[in-house]
Amino acid sequence: MKLLTANRLTDGLVLWYADGQWVEDAAIATHLEDAAGEALKAEWVARETEVVAPYLIPVTDDGTPVQRELVREFVRANGPTIGQTTFDTAKQFNRDEVFQ
Amino acid sequence: MYVYDQFDHALVRERNAEFSDQVARRLSGELSEDQFKPLRLMNGLYLQLHAYMLRIAIPYGVLSSVQMRKFAHIARTYDRDFGHFTTRQNLQFNWIKLADTPKILEELAEVEMHAMQTSGNCIRNTTTDQFSGAAKDELDDPRPWAELIRQWSTIHPEFTFLPRKFKIAITGATKDRAAIRVHDIGLHLTPKGFEVYVGGGMGRTPHLGHLIKSGVPGEKLLSYLEACLRVYNRYGRRDNIYKARIKILVSALGPDEYARQVEEEWNTLDQAAIDAPYYEIDRIRSFFPDPAFADKAFDQAALDRAKAADPAFARWVRNNTHAHKRDDHVSVTISTKPVGLPPGDASSAQMDVMADVADSFAYGELRVAHDQNIILPHVAKADLYALYQQLDRVNLSTANAKKISDIIACPGLDYCTLANARSIPLSQEISKRFADADLTDEIGELEIKISGCINACGHHHVGHIGILGVDKQGIEFYQILLGGRADEKAALGVITGKGLPAEAVPAAIERVVRLYLQLRTSPAERFIDVVERLGRETFAEALHEPA
Repeated sequence: MKLLTANRLTDGLVLWYADGQWVEDAAIATHLEDAAGEALKAEWVARETEVVAPYLIPVTDDGTPVQRELVREFVRANGPTIGQTTFDTAKQFNRDEVFQ
Repeated sequence: MYVYDQFDHALVRERNAEFSDQVARRLSGELSEDQFKPLRLMNGLYLQLHAYMLRIAIPYGVLSSVQMRKFAHIARTYDRDFGHFTTRQNLQFNWIKLADTPKILEELAEVEMHAMQTSGNCIRNTTTDQFSGAAKDELDDPRPWAELIRQWSTIHPEFTFLPRKFKIAITGATKDRAAIRVHDIGLHLTPKGFEVYVGGGMGRTPHLGHLIKSGVPGEKLLSYLEACLRVYNRYGRRDNIYKARIKILVSALGPDEYARQVEEEWNTLDQAAIDAPYYEIDRIRSFFPDPAFADKAFDQAALDRAKAADPAFARWVRNNTHAHKRDDHVSVTISTKPVGLPPGDASSAQMDVMADVADSFAYGELRVAHDQNIILPHVAKADLYALYQQLDRVNLSTANAKKISDIIACPGLDYCTLANARSIPLSQEISKRFADADLTDEIGELEIKISGCINACGHHHVGHIGILGVDKQGIEFYQILLGGRADEKAALGVITGKGLPAEAVPAAIERVVRLYLQLRTSPAERFIDVVERLGRETFAEALHEPA
């Protein structure tokens, strides 16, 4: 299974593909079969006025990114882990952090 | 400080108009990301982990209060209310919207600032001693020369597409506070002209710069630099990004052969067409006069009474003031590193206060130091307590300059797409471990520098204790280097012991520091002195938990 993620062109914020649309909350990202993920990525690579550099993240059975991606994607999904911006994405959606 | 002339204004105005058009074309889809990326990078705009980051050039780290206030305004209006001062004496905003960048650049142009040459394979912002023009040990003021280099190098057509980025640093004092030996070119300004060091750098393959020429007269500086750059531009490796910096070329040729080729090139150049005439050097020098120093009555007894009544103030005076060329003034370090907070970050409110105190107590002038602190270069001793009290209200009075909690840290994996590991959280944990100010003072001067990847933006190679974050099969690990230093006795640290997980690092640092306290012969013997006297292996065992 995989998650599709990218940055939004207009503000660079991290986006996750969820049920036909892009959302900022990684907690509701769609888990995609490998082939479906590849097809969606190819579609969105071409739609450059909406998102930048879409890519797929392999996830384990419990839905978290595989180990080699975990720290980076944890930070991307939740926001910086420091000071005044600690987990600001998680706070924005009033949820605990994802990909613990 | 330097004031833009009509050419500077026209250049920045035209460049902003060009970039504004490029942004519009990217948003409309007329430009692809591949086409746009090199254009935005040439204007300091990166796409980082969470958002666009705009890096603004602060020429040789010199800022006016007006410019600092503009940063505060930009932080409030276009970002998330804070900015980050970097080891390149620049400022980064981490949460910028693409469509806002033309407006931000327009606002910066209003205060004679821009974001050119903060990225790309060009000559970057020249850096220098944060106490330039103020330090008691200064031989000559490097700022006019840094400005001359800025004017020469700004969109220099021959050096806009070098094999890799190129960084020049200048010091004009006996103490090197500009880390000149770890720059592509390091210049030491002496009464007998410039000493030119070439081929220093950090990153994947760290090197110390080699002295290739002494006594270069100021009026010949530009042509000599041009010869250095030409040899590099011609023979630098463009086929391998990891071998493209000038340090690799100098190492491959050998410093003597590189120097010979530079000399040969220099003698073929039309030097008169390149070098600035005397009157131009004098014109630039005229922008850097001493401020109109106030002859304020200084009452030593009153200062002593204030220190006795307020021990925190006494500690701040002891740690965060630096000897000034005038006995009735000092330079002040405003630490951006309160215990537990990200090094280099300042909120808009803090920026406004720094601008205000610069106006009230420091003739309107500030500096950004490469250790990510802010400097007030000229402060009358009579004003110290009033200044301290204003800084203290906004958490800018931490008395830790050059102490163990005065940590350099790159943005690391919390922001940077290149990073393998986080830097800032580790610096926060270390500073919390050494939160006891008495212990910090007892330890004395100790520089910790942390990088989140091998690119070494956090200068880990030249930390007394350097920390390098690496990725080990998806887990953040940290290698510890001991014995580095960036001063006039520059040395590269060496990896000591095995890599450690993040949670083990603060305790390991504490064990090393406790051992140092046992081994030193007197409080005057600094940590780096003991490492050099006894060898770094003395500390290797202490890095690891006893079995």
